[in-house]
Amino acid sequence: MKNYLSGWAGKAKSQVLVLLLFLTSFSLLSAQVTVTGTVTGAEDGMPIPGVNIVEKGTAHGTITDADGRFSLEVPADASLVFSFIGMETMEVAVGGRTVIDVSMTSTTTALDEVVVTGYGTASRATLTGAVAAVQGDELKQSPTTNFSNTLVGKVPGLFAYNRSGEPGYDGATLRIRGANTLGDNNPLVVIDGIPNRSLERLDPANIESFTVLKDASAAIYGTQAANGVILITTKRGKVGKPTITIDANVGAQQPTVIPEMADAATYAMMLNEIKYYGNPGGGLYQQYSEADIQAYQDGSDPWGHPNTDWFDEVFKPWSLQHYENVSVSGGSDNLRYYLSFGNRFQDAVYYNSATYYSQQDFRTNIDGKITDNITLSFDVAARSENRHFPTVSQGNSFRMLMRGKPNMPAFWPNGDPGPDIEYGHNPAVTTTDATGYDDDKNYHLESNIRLQIEIPWVEGLSIQGNFSYDKRLRYRKRFETPWYLYTWDGVTYENGEPVTVAGKRGLDAPQLTQYANDDYRMTYNLFATYEHGFGMSNIKVMIGTESQKGLNNWMNAFRKNYVASDIDQLFAGATDQYMSNDGSASQFARRSYFGRFNYDYAQKYLVELVMRYDGSYMFDDAWGFFPGISAGWRISEEDFWSSSIGFFNDFKIRASWGQTGNDRIYYDDRLQEYKFLTLYGFRSQTYVFDQSVDNKLLYEQAVPNPTVTWEVANQFNVGFNSTFLDGRMSFEADYFHNLRTDILWRRNASVPTSTGLSLPPENIGEVANSGFEFVATWRGNSGDFRYEIAFNGSYAKNEILFWDETPGIPEYQQSTGRPMGSSLYYEAIGVFETQADVDAYPHWAGAMAGDVIFKDVNEDGVIDGLDRVRNEKSGLPRYTGGLSANVYWRGLDASILFQGAAGAVAYISPESGEIGNYYNDYAVNRWTPDNPSSEYPRAWNRDNEYWRSQGNTFWLHETDYLRLKNIEIGYTLSTPGMRNAMIDGIRFYANGTNLLTFSKEKLIDPELTSGTAYPLQRIVNLGVTLTF
Amino acid sequence: MKRIQIILAIVLTVGLITSCQKDFLQLEPLSDYSDAVVWNDPALIETFVNDIYRQALNMPFSIERLSDYVDESHFTPDWDVTNFNKSLMTSDNLMGWDVDWATPYTMHFRWGPLYAGVRACNIFFEKMEGKEFEGVDPDMIPNLYGQVHFLRAYLYHYLAAMYGGVPLIDKAYTLTDEFEMARNTYEETVNFIVADLDAAADLLPEVQADAGRITKGAAMHLKARTLLYAASDLHHNMNTYAPGFSNPELLGYTSGSQQSRWQAAKQAAKDVMDLGIYGLYEADPAPGDSIAQTFVDYFISYGYENEDILLQYFTPKTDEGWAGYNPALYCGPNGYHNWGNNVPLGELVDDYEFKDGTSFDWGNPDHAADPYTGREARFYATILYEGAEWRVRPSDVQGIDPWNRIQVGHVYAEGAGPNDDPLIPGVDTRKGPIEDWNGGKTGYYVRKFVDPSLDPQYVKQDVPFRHFRYAETLLNYAEACIELGEEGEALTYINMIRKRAGQPDISASGDELKEAYRHERRIEMAYEDQRFWDVRRWLIGPDAYQQTHAVDIRYYTNQQPGNYRQPDGSTWGDPVITEIENPGDARAWLDKCYFFPIYRDEMNKNSLLVQNPGY
Repeated sequence: MKNYLSGWAGKAKSQVLVLLLFLTSFSLLSAQVTVTGTVTGAEDGMPIPGVNIVEKGTAHGTITDADGRFSLEVPADASLVFSFIGMETMEVAVGGRTVIDVSMTSTTTALDEVVVTGYGTASRATLTGAVAAVQGDELKQSPTTNFSNTLVGKVPGLFAYNRSGEPGYDGATLRIRGANTLGDNNPLVVIDGIPNRSLERLDPANIESFTVLKDASAAIYGTQAANGVILITTKRGKVGKPTITIDANVGAQQPTVIPEMADAATYAMMLNEIKYYGNPGGGLYQQYSEADIQAYQDGSDPWGHPNTDWFDEVFKPWSLQHYENVSVSGGSDNLRYYLSFGNRFQDAVYYNSATYYSQQDFRTNIDGKITDNITLSFDVAARSENRHFPTVSQGNSFRMLMRGKPNMPAFWPNGDPGPDIEYGHNPAVTTTDATGYDDDKNYHLESNIRLQIEIPWVEGLSIQGNFSYDKRLRYRKRFETPWYLYTWDGVTYENGEPVTVAGKRGLDAPQLTQYANDDYRMTYNLFATYEHGFGMSNIKVMIGTESQKGLNNWMNAFRKNYVASDIDQLFAGATDQYMSNDGSASQFARRSYFGRFNYDYAQKYLVELVMRYDGSYMFDDAWGFFPGISAGWRISEEDFWSSSIGFFNDFKIRASWGQTGNDRIYYDDRLQEYKFLTLYGFRSQTYVFDQSVDNKLLYEQAVPNPTVTWEVANQFNVGFNSTFLDGRMSFEADYFHNLRTDILWRRNASVPTSTGLSLPPENIGEVANSGFEFVATWRGNSGDFRYEIAFNGSYAKNEILFWDETPGIPEYQQSTGRPMGSSLYYEAIGVFETQADVDAYPHWAGAMAGDVIFKDVNEDGVIDGLDRVRNEKSGLPRYTGGLSANVYWRGLDASILFQGAAGAVAYISPESGEIGNYYNDYAVNRWTPDNPSSEYPRAWNRDNEYWRSQGNTFWLHETDYLRLKNIEIGYTLSTPGMRNAMIDGIRFYANGTNLLTFSKEKLIDPELTSGTAYPLQRIVNLGVTLTF
Repeated sequence: MKRIQIILAIVLTVGLITSCQKDFLQLEPLSDYSDAVVWNDPALIETFVNDIYRQALNMPFSIERLSDYVDESHFTPDWDVTNFNKSLMTSDNLMGWDVDWATPYTMHFRWGPLYAGVRACNIFFEKMEGKEFEGVDPDMIPNLYGQVHFLRAYLYHYLAAMYGGVPLIDKAYTLTDEFEMARNTYEETVNFIVADLDAAADLLPEVQADAGRITKGAAMHLKARTLLYAASDLHHNMNTYAPGFSNPELLGYTSGSQQSRWQAAKQAAKDVMDLGIYGLYEADPAPGDSIAQTFVDYFISYGYENEDILLQYFTPKTDEGWAGYNPALYCGPNGYHNWGNNVPLGELVDDYEFKDGTSFDWGNPDHAADPYTGREARFYATILYEGAEWRVRPSDVQGIDPWNRIQVGHVYAEGAGPNDDPLIPGVDTRKGPIEDWNGGKTGYYVRKFVDPSLDPQYVKQDVPFRHFRYAETLLNYAEACIELGEEGEALTYINMIRKRAGQPDISASGDELKEAYRHERRIEMAYEDQRFWDVRRWLIGPDAYQQTHAVDIRYYTNQQPGNYRQPDGSTWGDPVITEIENPGDARAWLDKCYFFPIYRDEMNKNSLLVQNPGY
């Protein structure tokens, strides 16, 4: 064995040598015959440029030029392999010929496609579950820095919502078929066979395939797969010459929507109106005189009467992002390799931004054959994620931007930063590094060793084992320093110029917090697969076991009262009563045994059984058993069908049902562990006795629920796949009905608070979620022109069938029978135009003209809590869809993706009045005594009006949208001259994201749900890919 | 050979997979203590009791104060406080009182959080039952029992003050229990509280090793307060404010005599006095002492003074955001980069007497011309007013105000009209250059409790809050005496308070004495969470909730002023001070507000509950 391994290592070494010397290695090969020829398409006879031609079993090869011609020196007895995307790969023996013309046929159907499923692969033709797959190349078309944002609109049944565009925290929320449970609805992400990895920071260039298991087919992943599974495989080396690809692009980002706010004169007048409504005797100009308003209007007094557009002062027009990737892949029969190194950078929208994200990543996937029967794979991916922020949070800065008063200066005319909006916050300053920095570095290491053994003495039996160790280290440093803002007292001048005075804000002295996390997750599995065919029947059996455990450690340390801000290290802080530290740890463990049985008869009648026996540390009685079954019938294979309905190439109907256990008890923003035990924890606060002695506070975390157990996902799916018109068109549709039972939720709604109980999760909830999705694809070509159009749509709507409802509340307020996330709102039905209108309709005590009318829902003549109605919409859209098109013409390629979503609402409730500015829409259209409105209310102050403090539908906005999500245009150049210089091809491309949006919602980006979220970005990007 | 290799590989892989321990899934929580560990370790038990302190006493001075909800102060940001003060509270909405994110202070004065504290007490009693601890100071466990008895009583005394009679829960529920429970009568509720306090007083020492822990005196003081509240008109004259209410026994006493209750209240206060360990701080000022300074110092002193019965300490080390205790930042004037909240109402300021014991009156032209001269010491210790000298301004404001005097007025050009812009707004006003959104709206700021020795922009205040002090004991005693007709006894103790404050004795009787007493209590206990409950138990809601008042202060000059004051520090002439209505703060009273509503949700969850009248 030892001897053998060293032999293997020796081979590997020689391969590395080949890799290093790949340029010169070609010349070492002997040349017996020079083969030339032309490659054309079988359907149209047109030449195909860019076809990859390799001498079989070697790395030696070439690519066809723009006229489809090639020339290659090979041994006379060699075989040539011709490959091209979208065409059937061909193998042609040279047989001593010097001219070989080849006619390639396009891949007619996707039936031969192999789809990655759990613990193995399956042929698309015989698949019985609802599975959607996307090729990695398609995912590269979006220039977004966060991989989760490339998925929207591409995969039917996968909902992606982006809630923030902040560099570093701009991931989309992913939902497979919408929401199914009151708790955690995140899908399970499995990367290269290892569950619970994160997809957000993957480099799309490294992704080979992307598969979504939407129905009971996900059940094979058990414990955490109840919300569906996303399977990603990364690229691996293929036998052939080393291919080096260099990709670089640079882009400009800008917010899709910048809110339009009221100007200074309007704002000042609205404040006057507030005063007036509180004290009508004082007249309309109690705070700002007519002269003030005039000065705000005409800009004659920039010092005393500024007119500030805060977004304009803080946002730059464009901000930079760039991306670079180098990959090398290739290999021989015995050793294949794929290596990739990537770098990216994303700036933020602010002038002198302290916020940015940068990432360096590295991946190496190596497959080595130890013997003919044993393959050992070794994958290592490492990633450094660097997030850099100002010390003032994005949320805080955007809150201040919205609150930025237009009659206050962001900067004084002399360039000094203006005063604060509150507590030292002037977003023009707090978005820069003037307040210190918050530097957050995350280091991820993902490793896996895989052993695949094909048992030689039992044909069809193979065994695979994986051992994976993933590690995350985090090192965060938050150094806060005082910053300076300037005030002008309005009267002090020097040489005729106003004199501003600097004031120290935020902190008196610098302070530093350092955080460290050290986490690991270990996964090991072993599974055996046996495939056997007898007669027309085929069976496939897989059984296995998987265990996962992990530990998270964290600690932090804090010191303040630094004498100077020059040294940002802990030692330099004061060793006083304020210095502190903290730390803790948590761990988890899960284990399961699983099996899958497939049977098909003549690939016509298909059956699959899945079983899983899961154990989780979350429950006292750890184990649960969950089965699944699915079946398919390829009607197109029946004689009666193929003889009568000829234009179908394939037609398959399929159905599945299964159960999956879910142990992710998640509420109050955290995983609720050990709820079967009575546990006491320390509060973060302390209580002081004796003047300065901090005492720990121990509290009962929740009453225990010893019977807490698995939440069960019952998934039913029925659908069909079809391809017709010679494989040019395909259509696939699915209907699903998911029933989540035993949902872990608290009985907060029915248990009186007089019990004082802090309630544990109980298996009480029941939610149904049903809907459908479809995808239609059309592929065609005409001469050199090839194109592909795909249209997909999804609909999902959930309904709470049972949960803990407060007894005795009226039907229209119950959440049972309505979608999750439905909220209670008063129904706004307009604005009281006159006092007579107020008197004529039931109203809130103290209502006056200009106030929002709440509907008297129960018609009892009183507006009170019983007039609130549960609104069925939430922030999650019900419909989502995408329309994409790809076209190729000679060296040109283009793709376009339109994406839309409907059925979501956002509650947009700006902090306005004395506290901050108004959206211009509300300002210019507002009700005033002179210009009464029945649509828009009067000027309001903070939440003082009942229609501000009481949730009501006036502020509820529908956020349906359609947008040009992605567009890409590329041109590939490949000339003989370049090939002589060893360059296979060069591709120039331009792409963009969120270039156009159609939506009724104008105040915020329709994908967002809050007015203070970091805006989503429109990106325009230029790049070049070099392959040699 | 090949076969051996393969078998080896399989064995290795299988070995790796199964090499783990049998109890793979049996993990222990790494950051929590189990039931068994906690209740066998007195040190952990003590930290459990500490947490009930936090739940019961909470944050007496967060960004909002109870004074904002009564005729003491105005909450500058308003939120929903104005609406509360207009009696708009409903069973769906407590108007500002229940805004969780903003008002942790009032949040804890609510049904749910108070009962959560009660549960913690009940857990203590159940878990400790029959427990024996070895190697522990024998006094420790009874001492803890005493503290928990007090804390449960403290929680119930707020429940009783807010709701009247409430369900008396003395067990720790488990998930399978029947949860519905009817309200006990007010009388039963008071008896329950008193029983807990008697038990506490029996178990607790007069002095605790840890300052801030409950003592015998604290338990006795709370008993005196509870009995005083119970003896008050609110709990006897239900017909006057809730006529026809079906369950008056939930709001007060339906039998027995009010006199006997005053007697009990008097005796309970007397018992505290008879302990002989408390007295008034600087009870007997010598001529020449600055009594105002004495008051200022007392309320920002750290240690237990002879007047202190229960203090709660705070720490600046933990930043608790708006939930924290930081009166210096929350109340200080905006011209110090502070937030200017909880500003005194004109109503409170005007109630301070002159040094000679006479009352202030805007109708008196001499008073109106010079309202801040010659007032009693407690005025200067409690209120910051135009021209009051205070701490040094932050560096960026020193140019504007090198004299460190409060600026709540405006300088106008001679002959300016009422709506003209001022030439120079005071730096502590809402037109000033420093944080104009934070300026108070009444022309005053509060000085009591505010530690001037730190710059609260950067540093958090940590002086303790005085929950119980002996002055209240004396006032409670005096009130019971008045109601029992023992006027001479009452005067003795009221005059003790006045003497310490440097005010002349009073010698009133009858209703006049009652008014004088109520006035004295308002002044002495300003901002100390008393007035809110006093207004209710005295049934004087309609008087206390009206349009509030502020002052408008103007200087006129025919010069071109470069600053708020003249270069020599003097003002631009005498100010013109006018009493004005505080805009937007027109308060109104509805009798339903004598009690709080039980949330509609809670009513639905517990069908045995009866709602308070008017909701």
